[in-house]
Amino acid sequence: MDAIEVLGLVKVFGRGRSSTRALDGLDLTVRTGEVHGFLGPNGAGKSTTIRVLLGQLRSSGGSASVFGRNPWDDSVAIHRDLAYVPGDVSLWPNLSGGEIIDLLTRLRGGADAALRTRLLGDFQLDPTKKARSYSKGNRQKVALIAAFARRAELYVFDEPTSGLDPVMESVFRAEVERVTRDGATVLLSSHILSEVEQLCERVTIIRAGRTVESGTLASLRHLTRTSFHVGTAAAADDIARLPGVHDLATEAGQLVFDVDTDSMTGVLAALTAAGITSLTVTPPSLEELFLRHYGDPKPDAPAVPVDAR
Amino acid sequence: MIQLLALRIRRDRVILPIWIFGIALLLTASAASVSTTFGDEAGRRQILQLALATPALIALRGVPNGVELGSAVYFQVYAFLAVAVGLMNTFLATRHGRAEEERGQRELITAAPVRRMTPILSTIILGVGANLLLGVLSTAGFAAAGLPLGGSLVGAAALVAAGLAFLGVGLLASELTASSRAANSLGATLVLIAYALRGAGDALGTPDLDRLTLSAAWPSWLSPIGWGEQAFAFTADDLRPLTLSLALAVLTGGAALVIAARRDLGASLLPERRRPASAGRLLGSTLGLAWRLQWPSLLGWTVGAAVLGAVSGALANSVGSATFENSAINDVLQSLAHTSRDDVVTAFIAAIMSLVGILAAAAGLQAMLRLRDEETGGRAELLLSGPPRRGGWLLASAGVATASTTVVIVVTGLTAWAAFLAMREPGLGAQSIGQALVELPMAMVFVSIGAVALAVLPRISIAATWALFAIGVVIGLFGDLLQLPDAALEASPIRHVPTVPFPADDLGGAWADIGVLTAIAAALIAVATWAVQRRDLTA
Ligand SMILES: Nc1ncnc2c1ncn2[C@@H]1O[C@H](COP(=O)(O)OP(=O)(O)OP(=O)(O)O)[C@@H](O)[C@H]1O
Ligand SMILES: [Mg+2]
Repeated sequence: MDAIEVLGLVKVFGRGRSSTRALDGLDLTVRTGEVHGFLGPNGAGKSTTIRVLLGQLRSSGGSASVFGRNPWDDSVAIHRDLAYVPGDVSLWPNLSGGEIIDLLTRLRGGADAALRTRLLGDFQLDPTKKARSYSKGNRQKVALIAAFARRAELYVFDEPTSGLDPVMESVFRAEVERVTRDGATVLLSSHILSEVEQLCERVTIIRAGRTVESGTLASLRHLTRTSFHVGTAAAADDIARLPGVHDLATEAGQLVFDVDTDSMTGVLAALTAAGITSLTVTPPSLEELFLRHYGDPKPDAPAVPVDAR
Repeated sequence: MIQLLALRIRRDRVILPIWIFGIALLLTASAASVSTTFGDEAGRRQILQLALATPALIALRGVPNGVELGSAVYFQVYAFLAVAVGLMNTFLATRHGRAEEERGQRELITAAPVRRMTPILSTIILGVGANLLLGVLSTAGFAAAGLPLGGSLVGAAALVAAGLAFLGVGLLASELTASSRAANSLGATLVLIAYALRGAGDALGTPDLDRLTLSAAWPSWLSPIGWGEQAFAFTADDLRPLTLSLALAVLTGGAALVIAARRDLGASLLPERRRPASAGRLLGSTLGLAWRLQWPSLLGWTVGAAVLGAVSGALANSVGSATFENSAINDVLQSLAHTSRDDVVTAFIAAIMSLVGILAAAAGLQAMLRLRDEETGGRAELLLSGPPRRGGWLLASAGVATASTTVVIVVTGLTAWAAFLAMREPGLGAQSIGQALVELPMAMVFVSIGAVALAVLPRISIAATWALFAIGVVIGLFGDLLQLPDAALEASPIRHVPTVPFPADDLGGAWADIGVLTAIAAALIAVATWAVQRRDLTA
């Protein structure tokens, strides 16, 4: 069974003319045991989807299930095995960080004391300060420690590292790797692509409340183009005429162009036949994948050329 | 400066007019009502004579000064209105002071090219403007009741002066405390202390029955509300005491400016203490959390309740020992207590305990409506991502709200009982406890209305509930004075609290009232628990 199964999810806020269709037939499948990246431009509906999965918003259509249960009706059972960290953590200003960590973990059955101590050290959090005086990053650490200090089946993170420094970000990655080694499932919404590339096996990209792409990172890379910088005797026109070659230009005596991933073999064969003096091949980055989807005027419009970097 | 002031005005475009017009309206209505009810001089003379012999009434209302109509109006309305004006000002100062800073808006503002002092200066301008507008409307309100213009101006000036003093106090509170909640509590407490100080000073004053006035004892001279009373609008028209208020405004406002100029953004003069690194045993459930969040406020409410209980016990005794023809004073007490008993002490106890019930309802509502802050602040999102259900979460707060209400009522009842016991009046002590306890269902009706509002109309729940509460209180306490129709009077739960001891010929009616109020409260809380479970969390 998949940990999360969302089909055709619709969420409309408000009524009548002032209503917003935040989710418009969204699909999302998170397999048990995987780290799933959940990506999309601002306002795409990531947080809304997560709140539906947490049973905090009621869907207006479609279906959603977590561990095979309905998140709206069965929230208590789901939440016992779930840890959540919102992107913008707000805490009780008069409680200390330590008190809040204890409160949140006790609601789920209590923290693992040794784990709690280790996490406080790793995340370098002073648990005696009132939450009022914590910085944004420190507030986020409180929620992260509360999430990690007790084992959960499913971890849901909504931009969990947006306020963390790079050292803390790496602590976060290590913790995600630890919990997945233990068999937990992670849904990670993030704008930090390096984080997603490093942690996630599969990603879902959404836009305007709809899923535009979903699959393994490798399969998604397939959908983009690899850029070539080649020193070659081949004539520019000949190369430009090859199938799958785009945006050819000459820079400092080198040919610069992008190639569809499917057409790579043919292009390489042609180049080899003509002779190669230098070759730089840049694989498609997730960022390019992103820019392509984020920048599209419509999700189903034909792919536009990727900007050369 | 102009933009920032415009921003502040925009933010207050609803709340401030409600305060200003609400106060002016209350003033106009009460002034008109006093003029019609006590139109003839003989009647006023009788009322004032009796009032002067009754320290309890003096403590609630203020200092009379002669038999003139204007003076009688001023005596009736000033102290109450001054409390409202004071709260309007301290809340205003916090809203644009500590609260703005807490929400991080101050950071955005000061990052723009504005001077460090511009935010607080624009708050001062807004506050002064609001008070001046209130002054104009109040002058018109007095004058509309047919009172002379000169006295109307002085009366309005006394309100404005108190308002400015409390504006300064509020600004200073924002500089001293580290959170908007603390700033609001400090400000409101100081307003109530000012009211209580003058209450004590006036009650302890020396009456002059010939000139129908009273020379207040020293505590009144420590209070901006006391200074306003001493202006004696419509008779002495003495502006000198008001300079004390203005001096206090300058002093506190100046201190706030000095601190604001020196301190870091977000810092406060009263430092934050360290907190424990791990939670106590109670803090592990929604109920534990609700209790943990509420008990510091509850402590404040309890102290207030204890003082009120002790004072009212002591005052009731002096009412009882006053030996005079007391038919007219009884009318006044009966209208305050909305009871028809002719026994002065019983009426007095009912009147005071009715205030206690209102205080208890406010304590409960504050605990209940905290839930909305939790939701808008995003803390509910974090909490409810765990196993607790929304229904249980609301119920936990309702439980703590019930406890707060009960504590306030029981503590007041007990202290009043102790006060009577000290005066060897155990019977009256028991009666006080009884009267306090029968206020509980009424207070819980207000709390349960808050719960339903939270569940059904989350976005407007806080404003709507407090507005309904205010209307209920005004109807309950001043309905007779304002000569409202019976249907309106019946709508306030306060009107349905029976008087202890229950009349022997209508025991059933008294118990029925208690039963109906209790049933309404329980039903509304059940509805709220059910309804909150089926709505979205709405930040
Ligand atoms: N309570 C609400 N009422 C009305 N509209 C809402 C509400 N919550 C979200 N929206 C709208 O729904 C859309 C999706 O918002 P959501 O917060 O899910 O985006 P997101 O993908 O998380 O964006 P970000 O990357 O900025 O966090 C937005 O257009 C937002 O304005
Ligand atoms: Mg979001």
